[in-house]
Amino acid sequence: MKPSEMQQRRAVLRRVAWMLGGAVSAPAALAILQGCSAKEPVPGAALQSKFFKGKQADIVSAIADVLIPKTDTSGALDAGVPAFIDSIMADVYPKDAQDRFSAGINEFETAAGEGGKGFLDQDVTQRAATVQKAIAAALEGEHKDKPFILVARELTLLGFYTSEVGITENMEYVPVPTVYHGCVPLSEMKKHVYWE
Amino acid sequence: MSGGWAAKELTEKGLKTLVLERGRMVRHPDYPTATKDPWELPYGNRITQETRHRKPIQSRTGYPTPANQHWFVDDLDNPYVEEQPFDWLRGYHVGGRSLMWARQSYRFGPLDFEANAKEGVAIPWPVTYDEIAPWYDKAEIFAGISGSVEGLHQLPDGKFLPPHDLNCVEIDFKKRLDDKLGRKLIIGRCANLTAPLTHNESPQRGTCQARNMCIRGCPFGGYFSSVSSTLPSAERTGNMTLLPNQIVYELIYDNDKGKATGVRVLDAETGKQTDYFAKIVFLCASALGSAYIMLNSTSSRFPNGFGNDSGELGHNIMDHNKPGNSNASVEGYLDVAYTGRRPNGFYSPRYRNVGKDKRDYLRGFGYQGRAARSNYNRFNDTPLMGAELKKAALEPGPWTIGMTAFGEILPYHDNYARLDRDKKDKHGLPLLVVNAVVRENERKMEQDMKNDAAEMLEAAGFKNVTVKSDSYNMGNSIHESGTARMGNDPKKSVLNRFNQVHACKNVYVTDGSFMPSFGCQNPSLTYMAFTARAADHAVSELKKGNL
Repeated sequence: MKPSEMQQRRAVLRRVAWMLGGAVSAPAALAILQGCSAKEPVPGAALQSKFFKGKQADIVSAIADVLIPKTDTSGALDAGVPAFIDSIMADVYPKDAQDRFSAGINEFETAAGEGGKGFLDQDVTQRAATVQKAIAAALEGEHKDKPFILVARELTLLGFYTSEVGITENMEYVPVPTVYHGCVPLSEMKKHVYWE
Repeated sequence: MSGGWAAKELTEKGLKTLVLERGRMVRHPDYPTATKDPWELPYGNRITQETRHRKPIQSRTGYPTPANQHWFVDDLDNPYVEEQPFDWLRGYHVGGRSLMWARQSYRFGPLDFEANAKEGVAIPWPVTYDEIAPWYDKAEIFAGISGSVEGLHQLPDGKFLPPHDLNCVEIDFKKRLDDKLGRKLIIGRCANLTAPLTHNESPQRGTCQARNMCIRGCPFGGYFSSVSSTLPSAERTGNMTLLPNQIVYELIYDNDKGKATGVRVLDAETGKQTDYFAKIVFLCASALGSAYIMLNSTSSRFPNGFGNDSGELGHNIMDHNKPGNSNASVEGYLDVAYTGRRPNGFYSPRYRNVGKDKRDYLRGFGYQGRAARSNYNRFNDTPLMGAELKKAALEPGPWTIGMTAFGEILPYHDNYARLDRDKKDKHGLPLLVVNAVVRENERKMEQDMKNDAAEMLEAAGFKNVTVKSDSYNMGNSIHESGTARMGNDPKKSVLNRFNQVHACKNVYVTDGSFMPSFGCQNPSLTYMAFTARAADHAVSELKKGNL
C-alpha cells in the first residue's frame, strides 16, 4: 500500500472515531488499521548508512542475524534491525556512546578473527559461537560502560520487537483493544499479548 | 485544564468569551501520532539527540519521545532561569497540558483543607471541603472520572464511572496490605471513560478503548482534555472566540476604574501587539504562567506586580516530592495475565498522619504504581540467543511491580518565582526566575516514603525489593502551584475565596496558582472544580453589577 493510501485510511479511522464516539465498532476500526500493514522492504546489509562505516554494517547485521535468526518466523534482518541500529546510533545516542559502539564493533571483529577466520568469513554456526562467547565474557565482571556486544544485543531486541514483523508474528497485537481485563487465565489468551 | 473549564462555564452562562492561547491550534480529533502503530515510530520511540538539544528540560522526563515530543515546548525558544534546578514541563498549544496529563483525578478532603489552619502552616484555606464538594461532583460528572467508592475520609469518594480492574497481582497485593499493615490499595481514579458519560453534552467523546496511548491525544475522546471536552462545549454555545498564538504578557489596569480592562498580547508568529478588552479576565495560564503575567503587570497602583499588595505573588511554589521509586519481582502468577492496555495504575492513599498515626513531620504521601508482566527487555543481559531466544520471548515474562511515592510539599515563602527584567526572550519579554527546593519537612517524610515502600512490598511477599533514590527537582511532578494563593486576609494572600484578585475583583486566577497547600493528591480535578465555581461566581457578580 502506498503511504498516501495509508494516510487516507488513518484519516478515515479518525473520522469514524469522531463521528461514532462511544459507539465506534472496534472490529471495524481494527479492520481499517490492519488494512495499513504495509510490508517494508528488507534493507539488510545494503543499507544507506548514517552511522556505520566500511564493514561495520555487515558485522552488526551478522550479529543481529545470529541473535534473532529467521526460523519459521521472521528474523532480525527481515525486520530491518541493522538499519534500525544505524539510525538509533546516529540520532539517539550521544557522541561518547557512538564512539564506544563504533570502537566496539572493530574490537569485536579483531577478537573474533584471532587464531582463525575473520567474523564475516565464518559460517553462521561459527558466528553464533563467536557471539555467544563475546556475550558470556561481557556478562562476567563489572564494566564502567555497557560492553558493545550487550548494547548490540539490546538494540537488536528493541529493533526487532518494535518492528511490524517482530510484533505481529510474535504477539497478539490489537491496536484497539476496547477494554482492559485485569485478570485473565493465559489459557484463554491466544498468545503473548502486546501490552506496551 | 482550567482554561477550558473557564471557557465552557462562561460561554454556557451566556458570556461572549475570548480565549487566548499562546501556542498553536489543536482540534479534536486531530492528533498527529494518535493512531500510529509501534513500528511507525522511529528509534523504538526513544528520545533523540535533536530533541535533547532543543528540549533539554523537557527531556529531564521520559516524555518527549517521537510519539509525544510535539506536545512539549522548545526550551531554547522558551527560556527561564533556574536559580535552583526546576523542571518546568510545558505544552504551548490549545489544550495545554490537559492533552498530556496522567489523568489521575482525586479529591482533596477535609484533612487537606483543614491542615494549614490546624497546624499553623502558612495561611488557612478560605474554602471548606463541604463548599467545594458540589463543584467536585460537577467536574467529575462532566469530565468522566472512573474509580471505586471506598469510604476513605482522607480521599473522599466522588461521582464515578466504573473502576478499571486491578490485575491479579494487584488484587493480592491489596489484600495483603490490608491484612498485614492496615494500608489501602485502590484502583487509580482517572479521567478515562470506562463507560459512556452519564450526560449528553459531549457527543464527540467515546469510551476508552484501552490503547494506553492517551498522551498522544485520543481520537476516540476516551479521556478528558480541554480539546476533547470543554472547548467543544464552549464552541457549541457560539459564544467563544479562540485565538491561538497569542502571548498574553500583561494585564491592563485602569487606575480610575480600579479594574482591569483587558490584556496586552503579542502574536507569537508576527510579534504584532494587540490589546484586548473585557469586563472580566480569567487567568488560566498555569501557576508559573499566570504568576508571570501578574508580575509583569506593573502600574502605579501595583508597582510590585498585579494584585501583589501582600508580597506573596510568585511565592509559595509547591509541587509533589518524588524522590525515587520502589520495585520488586513477583514470583508465581505465571498462568494469568491481562488483556488490553490499562491507562491507569493502582493508588495507595495517604495513611501517615491520618487518624491516630503521628509522625515527626507534617502531612503525608500516596503511592502510585502497577504490576505487570515483563517483556523482551528481560533478555537484555542474558546469554540466550537464536531460536531459543525467539521461543522464550513468545511467553509473557515474569511479573514485576513498581510504585512511586508522591509527597506533600509545604508552602514556603522562600520558594519563589520572580522576573529578571535584564534578561529577555526572543519576544523581548523578561525571563522568569525560579528558586524552589524541598526542605526539612519533606526530607523527613522521604525516609517514610522509601522505608514504607520496602515494608509494603516485603509484607506482600515480593522478592528482590529495591528502593531507588532519584534526585528530585522541584517541578518534576508537573504539579507546580501556589504562586497566587487564596486566603481571607488580603495582607497575606493574592486571591480571595472565589479566586478573585483581592485588590482587583474583575480578575480571577483559577489554575494551580491559588492553592494555599497542596495535599499529596494529583491536583487537576481540584482546579476544574474551583474554576467552575469561580466562573459561576463571576457571572453572578457581573449580573449584580459588582464587577
